[in-house]
Amino acid sequence: MNADGVSEARTLLAEAANCDAASIPDDVRLGRFEPWDSLAHLRLMLGIERRLKRQLDPDEAVRIETLADIAFLVGSPQ
Amino acid sequence: MSLPPKGRPVFLKTRRFELRSLKPSDASERWMNWLKDPEVMGPLNVPIRTWPSQELKAHIASADNNQRYLIGIFDLASKVQIGFFMVDVELFHRRANFNVVIGEKSWWGKDVINETRAALLDEFFDNRGIEKAAGMPLARNFPAVFNYKAQGWRHEGTLRGQSVSASGGPRLDQYQFGLSRDEWHKLKRERVR
Repeated sequence: MNADGVSEARTLLAEAANCDAASIPDDVRLGRFEPWDSLAHLRLMLGIERRLKRQLDPDEAVRIETLADIAFLVGSPQ
Repeated sequence: MSLPPKGRPVFLKTRRFELRSLKPSDASERWMNWLKDPEVMGPLNVPIRTWPSQELKAHIASADNNQRYLIGIFDLASKVQIGFFMVDVELFHRRANFNVVIGEKSWWGKDVINETRAALLDEFFDNRGIEKAAGMPLARNFPAVFNYKAQGWRHEGTLRGQSVSASGGPRLDQYQFGLSRDEWHKLKRERVR
């Protein structure tokens, strides 16, 4: 996982959760950060899919719980 | 064939909501509108259609509060029904299968499901002999998946091409989420700390 991947993950989550990227803790986790609610999660998943230009596989989608999980996907060669 | 025995109706309150077993007289225009709204019912993969009032009343009457529950979610402030749970119980296995619909879109994203389902988990685990809760959202129902995970349910499996799509298109993937009584009690203890 590289710094660009984490930065992009933070931007995607901030856009989905309608919050300032700087307000997202490094150790943010699904269910433990109020702006990351169920609708934000929907927007996040669709944002990741737009970024990847493909649908997420169900095994990928169900693993997304942290910034690192998002960064792993958006930072991986497709 | 004899009908299963009727059980005790559910009646619970949470901070913002009242939960109670529904009666045929609860069939309403509001509810019938949810059933024909693709945005509301599509994520559950049920056919979108108009339900005549009598059919909805018969459906509600089929819930026996023993093996099948239909539990309304009512906003405490306005007393308006905003959604409902369907809980199917396999008595021998002491397992309850949960489904939920929030029909009022203004309540989406406001933690209705986990606030109300927490009360139901307490009720079913502590008062109705259930040892295992299960839920099977479509893999593309991202808000539902969020809610299961945020509440601490365990992803137990991915069922590929499990269901025919009610709206056409390819077969649909589903997840199996589960939560045991012991896991629920442990989660609650951890959150109190």
